Amino acid sequence: MGTRAYDIITQYQPQFPRKHAGRIVTDTTEFMSIDYGDVMLLEGKHYLVTKNLSERRFGLEDPKYWVKRCKELETGRHHIIKLEFYEKFDIRIGTLQSSCYRSPRKESRILKLIDGDMRFMQGRTVMDEKGNCVRILDIIYGSELDIALDRITVSHEEYFHTIFPDYFAKFIGAVRAIEFLHQHREQHGDIRRDHLLIESGTKDWRWIDFDYTFGLRDNPYALDLFGLGSILLLLTGQREITAQQLATQQHPVAITTADMALAMPYRLANIQKKYPYIPDSLNNICMHFSTKNTVFYSSVTEFVSALLTCFHELPVFTSARGRYS
Amino acid sequence: MNIYNILVAFDSSKPSFEAVEYTARMIRSVPDVLVTLLFIERLPDKDLFESEALWRAECAELVVDYKRKLAKARGLLASSGIHKKAINEEYIISCSSPFEDAKVCTTGDSIAEDILAIQKEGNHGTVVIGRRGISKEEEFLFGSVSTDLLRQFTECALWVVNSKCD
Repeated sequence: MGTRAYDIITQYQPQFPRKHAGRIVTDTTEFMSIDYGDVMLLEGKHYLVTKNLSERRFGLEDPKYWVKRCKELETGRHHIIKLEFYEKFDIRIGTLQSSCYRSPRKESRILKLIDGDMRFMQGRTVMDEKGNCVRILDIIYGSELDIALDRITVSHEEYFHTIFPDYFAKFIGAVRAIEFLHQHREQHGDIRRDHLLIESGTKDWRWIDFDYTFGLRDNPYALDLFGLGSILLLLTGQREITAQQLATQQHPVAITTADMALAMPYRLANIQKKYPYIPDSLNNICMHFSTKNTVFYSSVTEFVSALLTCFHELPVFTSARGRYS
Repeated sequence: MNIYNILVAFDSSKPSFEAVEYTARMIRSVPDVLVTLLFIERLPDKDLFESEALWRAECAELVVDYKRKLAKARGLLASSGIHKKAINEEYIISCSSPFEDAKVCTTGDSIAEDILAIQKEGNHGTVVIGRRGISKEEEFLFGSVSTDLLRQFTECALWVVNSKCD
């Protein structure tokens, strides 16, 4: 710890400005002090820190100092490196509050489980000299699902008949990926629209970020299911549909609290109310995540089964069925 | 199936103590009744702790507390006039327990299914469980053992005791 990194950086990257060359770091415990120009030496490989990463939340940048963008000097490949950081915090899930934990150990275990499964981000775990659990992740080049949806400029009706069928098929694949985790007694823990990436080249849908976990609950997998339901509402509606949007549109639609999403009373779950051409069977799945519902899906397996029934039966998916069967 | 062979699902919470008290009131004058207090151990996930030592310490504290409360529940039944020989305990340890190995353990994936398995195995004709007053949102997001039991039980009586506490 503390050795100058200039020599090793110039060996692989001669143009790197000397004034920015930092230290060679072998103990990552103090991750706040590891910054641009430092080189982390992990299991014999040198990783030049190029950036501290942030998370986008409500348009604000939330810095995550334990997550670094790095370049592996020996290969020139870029990685995201997550350093060991445990924390407990309260999160709001709609109208409810829950304690949430960040667990590097959990993420490492899942990375091992899903090694080679491209429905998930890929990476490996190494230990630094102090035994900190460091995850070296491959970068997925692509866009978050919500951003991809935002970029679609066609009308909802056109979206529903042209783009949505493929997205729905991809979504089923993503849900099956979560089912795979549950079958192995793991949970994703933070299913959100921006944790599902559409990879640019392959167009594969891939889950990222597995380090969240929760305390004791009667159903350890229900939160993942809730997250999947939220994404289904987003996909079906093309974007989030709020009560306010419905009230202020040219021809206001009459809605009741029963039409709104469970735990998120501002958000429409009864998508058919806004877009009447949504088929009943698809809308019924959406309504499982509404305040009207009294019988919830007991597992992701049950949810997948309902999605597949829709996919195999509805005319809107006829063409997609040929591509994804 | 013997309806007087009663299984009380006890998890040391206030609602489960209320379920024990309710059971005691219902059966204290019934002859030949048999009550089993079932405790399904739930330990925090190791993932939540920075080190194995911290996790073990938390588990140790919880196990002591669980067993103390289980003994208290047994005392409640005995003090209601139920004969000591008619009160049994079944403590199912967690499969992730750092302290004990057992042939039968609970994974914690579904407490309702664990209760159902013990009910069948023990030929219990009546199952009792306490229920917290939770919202539909909480039930969906965090689960509810009593709701799961209501859905899954078809072969015996289920007493769901609503808690007076929030």
